[in-house]
Amino acid sequence: MVWKCCWTTEAVREDECPSIEADEADLYVSLQRRFVAKCIECPRFGEDLDRLSESGHPSAPVLRLLIDEIQRQKTLMNSMAAFLDNMNMEARFLHEIGVVLQTSLGLDEVLSVALTAFTAGKGFGMNRAFLLLADKERRFLRGTLGVGPRDYQEAWEIWDEVSRKDFSLKEMARHFYDMKLSAEKDKFHDILERLTVSLADQSHILNRALLERRPILVEDAPRNPDVDPLLVSILGVDTFLILPLISRNRRIGVILADNFITHRQITPQDVKSMETLTFPVAFAIERAALYERLHEDLRKLTRANTKLLEQQELIVRMEKLALLGKITSSISHSIRNPLMVIGGFARSLLKDIPSDDPKRESLQTIVREARLLEDALDEALAYADSALPALDRWDVNQLVGNVFREVVKNVAGDRMSCILDLSPDLPTIYTDYRQIAYCIKKLLRFNLEMMGTAGELYMGTRLDGECILIEIRFCPEHVHGGDEPVFPGLGEEDGTKGMELSICRVILENYCKSFTVEEYGSNGRRYTLRLPLKKEGT
Amino acid sequence: MIMSRILVVDDESSIRLLYSHELADEGYEIATAANAADAVELLRRDDFDLILLDIKLKNESGLELLQRIVKERHNLPVILCTAFSCYKDDFSAWLADGYVVKSSDLQELKDEIRRVLAKKSSRGPTHKQM
Repeated sequence: MVWKCCWTTEAVREDECPSIEADEADLYVSLQRRFVAKCIECPRFGEDLDRLSESGHPSAPVLRLLIDEIQRQKTLMNSMAAFLDNMNMEARFLHEIGVVLQTSLGLDEVLSVALTAFTAGKGFGMNRAFLLLADKERRFLRGTLGVGPRDYQEAWEIWDEVSRKDFSLKEMARHFYDMKLSAEKDKFHDILERLTVSLADQSHILNRALLERRPILVEDAPRNPDVDPLLVSILGVDTFLILPLISRNRRIGVILADNFITHRQITPQDVKSMETLTFPVAFAIERAALYERLHEDLRKLTRANTKLLEQQELIVRMEKLALLGKITSSISHSIRNPLMVIGGFARSLLKDIPSDDPKRESLQTIVREARLLEDALDEALAYADSALPALDRWDVNQLVGNVFREVVKNVAGDRMSCILDLSPDLPTIYTDYRQIAYCIKKLLRFNLEMMGTAGELYMGTRLDGECILIEIRFCPEHVHGGDEPVFPGLGEEDGTKGMELSICRVILENYCKSFTVEEYGSNGRRYTLRLPLKKEGT
Repeated sequence: MIMSRILVVDDESSIRLLYSHELADEGYEIATAANAADAVELLRRDDFDLILLDIKLKNESGLELLQRIVKERHNLPVILCTAFSCYKDDFSAWLADGYVVKSSDLQELKDEIRRVLAKKSSRGPTHKQM
């Protein structure tokens, strides 16, 4: 019998088998492979088989059975190959996502990668995805990010852009993070705002997915009694998938995914694949949140460390100053006695010298210079004295009054209006008289120096809740343009004055509940010190 | 007029000299002691109306002497003289009738002496026990 098909010929020429494609040249010389790949589907072979059956050849029925089985096996193999291809693609996709997630530390970056993976065509191709995260207190799931189109128009624009740019998944996630993240948050703001679910509501379907640690595919949502109608109305779809995000038994959040535009069916295989992705996503989100918290703690620690260093420096400075004060006090003490004797005898001699005696002027000079030196010593001793604390209960009015009178007498100009306004019957407070007096004295001196000879100084006390408030105001008289005084703040100045004001600031921080420095009037300044009535810790 | 007698206790001879000159000019009768032992001896021998006492004597404390004076001659007024203004930190100093920070201008000292003596005269005579 002459066969139309080449199924009995070991090697064939090109024109003998029309089914073989250009890239299948090896089939020309291999009957076995050619038979399985081409002949059993070739119409010529079908005709040959019919002729064989008609001839009554005993092998014809068996041959047909074998051919049917081969075809069935072939279909099965093709389907398995397709399945394996899909699996392989999915594995590669998950690997790619895993790598990207592993290298992403910022929370927004992780979220961008995750939601892109769910919605991109090269990913799971869902139309929309919403992420709800558990808040820090673990009380609520809150809508955090949504991705996808809001309508058909936008859907077409997005898909057009995606097809034109042909991004890889990683590039797409990066593009989303760089260009679209904030816009996307705004776009779904209304939905995200309403997507808030209490974690305590265990009957809510989102919490059920978390408790049961499995995805839930919701179908026919409006008629599903397990689904909160509010959730259905927010999403506006009948079918959606709930994917729980759990990492180390911690409820991180949930992802809601749907096909809002295409209404493509979500298959069990889709659910399984997307579930696989939720594990690295949950882990990455938790890691990013921990990383963020770590950064915040690090920032706090760095700030605390800086402050500690500053305080340490200040303590060292103050210790040096205290030592300097002790040395100063010792030297001053040694100087005072001889100085007193020199000045004292000069005064004594001056009393008996006639007014026209030429020695009188010399003696007067000795008296004057001795007095100046004594004043300098007093200042040095007062400074040294103030460095050591002397805590007790003190009358603030007495403190303020003494300082006011002393400074005003020595420093205030002739045309200076000085007002002391002490509220009567103030309770005593537990504080360091010397240190507070030192600070107020310094503030008064520096500010009065700035004010010049004219202006108004106000100093008052009053009860202010659980504190006694000391208010000091400086209002210089009108100064000519460009000559406005620059009043010292606390620690704003440079040099010795800056150092002294810095010490004042530290002392006031120690003893005051609060103190403020603010502009007053057009070119004045107001200092407010609040000294607590109660001793700290009582 | 009866002159008030003042005992000046100071380890600095030049200060004793200055006080002696200046206070004698004011009409007081002055005796001086350079240390606590001399002061106690003088107090035993003579009557005084007032003591000017330096807080820091060489190798001894004027405040200890002050305590002794107050204990044994409790009506004898004492004015503490000091080169350092933080004398009030020591409670013992509170026993004194007056305080003066040493200064070349002795006016404050003279005023304080007058004030303390006036107060003493209103209190009556002292009792000698030392």
